[in-house]
Amino acid sequence: MAGKKQKDDLGELSFEDSIKELTNIVSKIEQGQIPLQDSLQQYEKGMALIKHCRTILNKAEKRIEKITREEASEDEIPDKNK
Amino acid sequence: MRKRTQIYTVSQVNSLIKVALEENLPSRLIVRGEISDFKHHTSGHCYFSLKDQNGILPCVMWASKFRNVKFSPEDGMAVLATGHIDVYTVGGKYQLYVDKLEPEGVGALQLAFEQMVKKLQAEGLFDDVHKKPIPTYPDRIGILTSESGAAVHDIIDSIRHRWPCVKLLFYPVPVQGEGAAEKIAAALRDINRRNKKLKLNVLIVGRGGGSLEDLWAFNEEVLARAIFGSKIPVISAVGHEVDVTVADFVADARASTPTKAGVVAVPDMQEVLGQLISIEHRLTGQTKAKVKLAQQNLQTILASWVFRNPLSIVFTAEERLDELDMRMIEATKVLLAEAREKLAASYQQIIRIEPHRLLKNKTVELNNWQNRVNVGISAIVGDCRLQLTAKANRLAGLNPKSVLHRGYSITTNKKTGLLVKNIEDVRIGDYLMTELADQNLIESKVTKK
Repeated sequence: MAGKKQKDDLGELSFEDSIKELTNIVSKIEQGQIPLQDSLQQYEKGMALIKHCRTILNKAEKRIEKITREEASEDEIPDKNK
Repeated sequence: MRKRTQIYTVSQVNSLIKVALEENLPSRLIVRGEISDFKHHTSGHCYFSLKDQNGILPCVMWASKFRNVKFSPEDGMAVLATGHIDVYTVGGKYQLYVDKLEPEGVGALQLAFEQMVKKLQAEGLFDDVHKKPIPTYPDRIGILTSESGAAVHDIIDSIRHRWPCVKLLFYPVPVQGEGAAEKIAAALRDINRRNKKLKLNVLIVGRGGGSLEDLWAFNEEVLARAIFGSKIPVISAVGHEVDVTVADFVADARASTPTKAGVVAVPDMQEVLGQLISIEHRLTGQTKAKVKLAQQNLQTILASWVFRNPLSIVFTAEERLDELDMRMIEATKVLLAEAREKLAASYQQIIRIEPHRLLKNKTVELNNWQNRVNVGISAIVGDCRLQLTAKANRLAGLNPKSVLHRGYSITTNKKTGLLVKNIEDVRIGDYLMTELADQNLIESKVTKK
């Protein structure tokens, strides 16, 4: 299914890249050069991207990872409480 | 008693001078003067003179003491040198052995700071062209600061408050004291080296407020160069608003305090959520408008007479077809009439010539000729027949075999097949073949010659 594949691709997209793509889509539609069928497809893609961005933003990171010198792996420690 | 004039050795004189100096001068004094003839030996020791309008005082500063001097002494600089006077017997002079050197008027550290800024700026380390842009929406940030102290919490809180979705990685480093600058520099290099795995978008290096001495690590050259060399963008967040360090100049961006680090490093989540809403509106609005426009177009098309009365096209065509049909029939009728007229006229012409009568005459004539030809030919043929018969008779008469009818016969030697014309042609005992007129054959044998 074309729709499902799209969602899988979006999962990996960073916020920065999502916003860039979104801006692209909106200007394309606003410029009005694309046919109706394509605009509907782009609209769907745009809405999926917006949802993806919101998901990223709403995920609050609680942990802080600690790095030390010359260690290949990173240890995780819980957030320091004031 | 006659006083003998004492003769002293050089060493004795020097000793006496040394003692005299020790007794009459404070064991430690501060001297104000202008630096002249400053030499920083490869050994690390410094040799210079302090001078005023009236004279000079030779000075030495051992490397171990000079290490603590943060600024670069230059000829002409007004300084305060603290140390003790002693005699350099080998050289035959007295010197000030300096253990502390400070610029006069301004603090040593302040001067060192100004000198470092001038030096690095001249090299271009602060130029805008080298500054890397801070990513707008970072997702992994590295923080380098002390594990103790408020700075780390200030930085983390300021970020989490604005953009909680970002991942934070903390690399603890000392932020003051001996070797701190080197350790922070090493940490920056370490992170850059490992960044393929760490994947950090931006680094924050900072500490809380303090004296110029406390903040000194952030004015040191080694740290400035490490910040300059970092491929990952670096934000400096050092001290209070008024504190400006060399690190602040060389970093890709500056947060005036650790608390402001969030403002520089990350966007405001609420603002971005608002932007998403307006993008959503634009997207929906534009798409709806497009759909509406398409619908209107469709309606306009449907409203046209073509769709309202589609058969009218057919009727119009049929009408035209009928019209053409009629015209064609009329035209054909006319042509037909014309042709008939022409035919009638031609027929009349032909009748006038009386072709049947002409034909009859000619037929008779032809028959006559035919007959005459037949007669002529018969005569010729008869004539030829006669001639042929005569010739045939003559030929028959010449046939050698006709002689046979008169009673003659042909005799051949059976063996050789040759005609027997004379007695030598046969021998006794030979067989002979005789052909008679009726073509019968007699076989006989020669018995006697």
